[in-house]
Formats: sequence, C-alpha cells, structure tokens
Amino acid sequence: MVTKSDTEPVQIEIFPRKFLKPETAECLLGEIYRAGGLVRIMIQGPNLPKAVPYGPGKGLPVDENRDLLLKLGDQALELRVKVGRIWLELESEEYLEGVKAACERTLSFPFEIKRKRLFHTKPTVSDYAKYGSEVEDERVLGLVDPKGKRERDLAVLSDSRGD
Amino acid sequence: MAYKPQYYPGNTSVGANRRKHMSGDLEKLRDISDADIVSIMGHRAPGADYPSTHPPLAEMGEPDCPIRQLVEPTPGAAAGDRIRYSQFTDSMYNAPAIPYWRSYWGAINCRGCDPGTLSGRQIIEARERDIEEYTKVQMDSEMTDPALATMRGCTVHGHSLRLDEDGMMFDMLARTELGSDGNVYYSKDQVGIPLDKKINSGKPMSEAETAKRTTIFRCDNISFGGPCTAESRSFDEGLVALHHMWERRSKWGFRPE
Repeated sequence: MVTKSDTEPVQIEIFPRKFLKPETAECLLGEIYRAGGLVRIMIQGPNLPKAVPYGPGKGLPVDENRDLLLKLGDQALELRVKVGRIWLELESEEYLEGVKAACERTLSFPFEIKRKRLFHTKPTVSDYAKYGSEVEDERVLGLVDPKGKRERDLAVLSDSRGD
Repeated sequence: MAYKPQYYPGNTSVGANRRKHMSGDLEKLRDISDADIVSIMGHRAPGADYPSTHPPLAEMGEPDCPIRQLVEPTPGAAAGDRIRYSQFTDSMYNAPAIPYWRSYWGAINCRGCDPGTLSGRQIIEARERDIEEYTKVQMDSEMTDPALATMRGCTVHGHSLRLDEDGMMFDMLARTELGSDGNVYYSKDQVGIPLDKKINSGKPMSEAETAKRTTIFRCDNISFGGPCTAESRSFDEGLVALHHMWERRSKWGFRPE
C-alpha cells in the first residue's frame, strides 16, 4: 500500500502464462512499484511448504523453499508461494500503461492483464475475526487469506517508490 | 489371420500415441540405471537384498490348483517380495502419458500389477522386483518426459498448474531440477527424502516434441474431434466411437416396459 488518492481507482489482474521465479517476481513488482500509482498489491500462487507435509518424509525440510525473500521498496516479505497471479489496485487509469510496460520489460513469455473488480469492499466474517468490528484501513480487505497472518503476510510500503 | 488387437480408434497423432502406449510398443529414449531407479523409488537401498513377506513359492509347497499350474508367477511373486509402488504425476501441458494411459499400459503389459488411476497421478503397485522393472520401462521410454512427468509418491500437486519459467512442472517439494547442462536431475526420492547424489533423468523434450508425443487431447494441439472446420464436419473416429458407446449405454440403460 502506498498512497491515498481521491481519483477513481482501477483494479487489474496480471496473469502470466508461466509461474514466476522469485527473482522474476521481485523484478516485476519492483518495476510496477517504480511506475507509481499503486494502492495495493496482492500476490497469489501455490504454496511452497518449508517442510514435507505428508508421507514417510514428513517434517523433513524443503531447503529450496526456505529463505525466499521478496524485497519491494523499503520492505521485505517472506515469499511463501510460487507467484502465479498478481492483483493490483491503481490510483487511476493513467497508470495502466506503466504496468503493462513493466510486464513487457520483465516477462519473457505471454501474460494477460484483465481489468475487473478484485478486492471485496465490505468486511467478511473472516475480516471481523481478524480485524474486529472496526477496520482501521479498508485497503487491507481482501489482501490476506482468511487463515493468513496479517503481521507475516502484509507489508505497508512507503510512498518513496524505491527512490 | 492372426488376431491383432485394435487398442484405440482414431487417425489423430494422439490416437496413434494412445495405441502405442496400450500396446507397449514404446520407443526407448534414455537409459537410467537400475540403481538410480531404485534410489528414486526409495523403498530399499540399491544393491540391498529384497525383503520378503513369505518364503519363495517353490519352498512353500503350493496346493494342487489348476490355475496355479496355468499361471506362471512373476519373479517377484515367486521370490515372495513385498508389494511396493511407484507413482507418477503427468502435466496437462502435453505430457506424453496421462493417468488412464499409464493404467492401460500397466494392465495390458505388466503381469501381477495393480494400477490405480486418479485425476492428477497414477500409481502402480506390484511385487518389489516387478515394480522396479515396470518403473524403469516407464522412465526410460517415451511415456515420460522428465520435465513434464515426475515420480511423486506424495504431495503430487502440480499436474494442472501452469509450468515454471524453465518449462518444469510445478513441484512444491522440489524433487527435480533443471541442471545447467540441460538435463533434469532428481535431488529427492519420490516422497521428498533427499538423495545421496543427484540422478540424471535425461533431457526434457522440446515443445514440438511433446505436442507430437502426447496422449492428451487439447484444443491448442490436437482436439478430440480431430481437425474439424466449417468446411469439414467429419469427426475423428475416436469421437465417433465415444458417441457410439454413449448412445448404446443410454439406450441400454433406458428400458421402457
């Protein structure tokens, strides 16, 4: 989350043809961040467990999935998914071209950008359980899984655009 | 004239590949050593004796039974091996095999095996030395593309997901990796336990190659009805045969008295 705006925000989904490596995801998100106009970002994809969850090897560490950091602006989040889908809310339509250009620069394979309503606007029961009856900042709605932890999975970015 | 089985109808390349899989007339593309196959399966250490669940049949003194006299036991059954398994996950992005065709291949060509078909994975159970032999055939032949088909005993998720940037099927346990030499290496066995050394399972096929060898009908490759345009409305025999089966099935089930 970066800035507040009084213009009409737009929500878009970036859907690449392939799953992104952590480095590619970081590069893409960095480019989008620098393009400006961001209100919020949500990344989604299949889980990368830290340990084998089932079977005879249950509990053994999966080293490949450990210590994956996603650095963006002045924040670093632990990457716990293989990035396959990115939801963005932009301040206004004028930033769409910047996002598209960032995708074209970063992704070497086809991708789709769809504009649609992505984040829910009213608190759900899960939001009530997580945030209480009064949501301090409504932009957090829809950013974290019902079972996700806000402290672990949510980062608030500054407005500096990584400069 | 000698009877020649007609395994699957149709003139598409997918139909031809399905017939190849079912008949067991498979092209061998690579040679992974027996010890490596055993390591990836993870049931016993390579070179170790086969544990047994019963004495060899020759020592047991079997009852007088005409069926037992007719059917020769497999080597694993004769030795009294344990039942063990190997399980594969095949990507929907034009993997050469799919669960049903691995099962058809197993049921038709492998003696003493029990194939299990699931939506995203396929398991074959058999006596230990038999399943090792059957697994080697699968991994060495055109049934397997190392990038699009992985031996996964558990945590099989990935068959219906998009591929990774390097063309590998997603695996949350990272059992396989694409090496810098272009080969796919197993670094873990089928249940995610790290191996002592990485095992080379060969080079991935190109996209054109997988499109040619796949047994999956896809609208972006070979569609189920074959090439069918506004000018040409004749469906492939595979689809006609399926319609025929469904028609008969419906009429057979519908019995107005």
